[in-house]
Amino acid sequence: MNEKELLQHYKTTGDLSALGKLYSPYMSLLYGVCFKYLQDPDRSQDAVMQIFEELITKLRQYEVDNFKSWLHVYSKNYCLMQLRKDKRTSQVDIEDNLFESEQKLNDSSDTKWEEKDFEKLEGCMQTLSPEQEQCVRLFYLEQKCYKDIADFTGYDLNKVKSAIQNGKRNLKICMERKENGK
Amino acid sequence: MENNYQLSRIHNYIHGLMSREEMFQLEREALEDPFLQDAIDGYRLQNGVDARQLSLLQQRLSRRVEETIATRHAQYYTWQRLAIGATAGVIFVTLLALLYFKHFDGKAERTTDVELSEPENSIAIQPLLDGGDATPREGWKALETYLNTHAMMPAQGGVVIIHFAVGQDGLPIHIQAEGKTMQSLVEEVIRLLRSGPKWEGTKGRLKITFPVKEEKTAVQVSSIKPPHCFVIEPK
Repeated sequence: MNEKELLQHYKTTGDLSALGKLYSPYMSLLYGVCFKYLQDPDRSQDAVMQIFEELITKLRQYEVDNFKSWLHVYSKNYCLMQLRKDKRTSQVDIEDNLFESEQKLNDSSDTKWEEKDFEKLEGCMQTLSPEQEQCVRLFYLEQKCYKDIADFTGYDLNKVKSAIQNGKRNLKICMERKENGK
Repeated sequence: MENNYQLSRIHNYIHGLMSREEMFQLEREALEDPFLQDAIDGYRLQNGVDARQLSLLQQRLSRRVEETIATRHAQYYTWQRLAIGATAGVIFVTLLALLYFKHFDGKAERTTDVELSEPENSIAIQPLLDGGDATPREGWKALETYLNTHAMMPAQGGVVIIHFAVGQDGLPIHIQAEGKTMQSLVEEVIRLLRSGPKWEGTKGRLKITFPVKEEKTAVQVSSIKPPHCFVIEPK
């Protein structure tokens, strides 16, 4: 059974072993996600198990199309709720969350590019901040990895990462605005 | 498994074991896949992938799944057992109730026996309602008491059914016995009624039972027991 079939099978039968098969491949990624927010090995492990417990009922109630991204959003929300319960200030970077919400936009990026699109892209590149423009160029055009870019520019690795993420987002917004403007 | 492949890539990425191209490739994927990006961020915070932790998690998951399946079986059996238990309980209670009622009934029988024994010690009156409307002015109980205190009881006892009319002075007149009864008994009843309490109504019909006098019969049957033993005796 593939993922979709497993999901459907579980929804109709409530067979827990099906849910286990569905969930197990994502556990290591989930652990990483939970650790990112909870920053504690034991809590992260418990969270992974607790999310599984919640899926037992949730997946029978809701129609889930894309299990992977649904699971990601669900776990993230779960961890954030945990942090809120702690009344601890969440250490989540706002930029990461902005990046997060664009996930859906990225799905339709298979459109063919024409000459004028490149011209538009060049125009949009000029609208980015110098840091973003530099990092995006190095990453997408010269295909350098974050570490090389960090070494080359002298920026911190995390700064490189968010510059690329935000630069990519801004470019996308700019391109769409121009598309609609003309 | 794709999962493990990703995991080893994350591991290699964090520990700088990747070529530049591989790093770029993973970074590119992560830009399109926020799930992956979050996981990489998390493992970077943890300073690497701990395979033992993850296999522990896998174990917890499979244990959890098996547990539920086992629990379902256990619950199934539990329900079965519970049903059997409940049935047994109901049967037990029913048996107890039956035993109790049987015991209780036995007692009631004995009680009834004792009450029934009364007419055997004394004269009992049973008004036969189809015979008329006459009732003693002072009540049936008073009449019974009168009869018991004034009767000259015949030794062998007997039953007399009589009917009579109530005279203007309230005393019974035209007293007549029904069926064939001992003449001495009939005469005694007539004597008693004529000198007894007054009546209301127009006519009446009575069944009067005289007990067997045991003091006299005891002479003939020496081994006879006291009356209350008689009653329990048939058991």
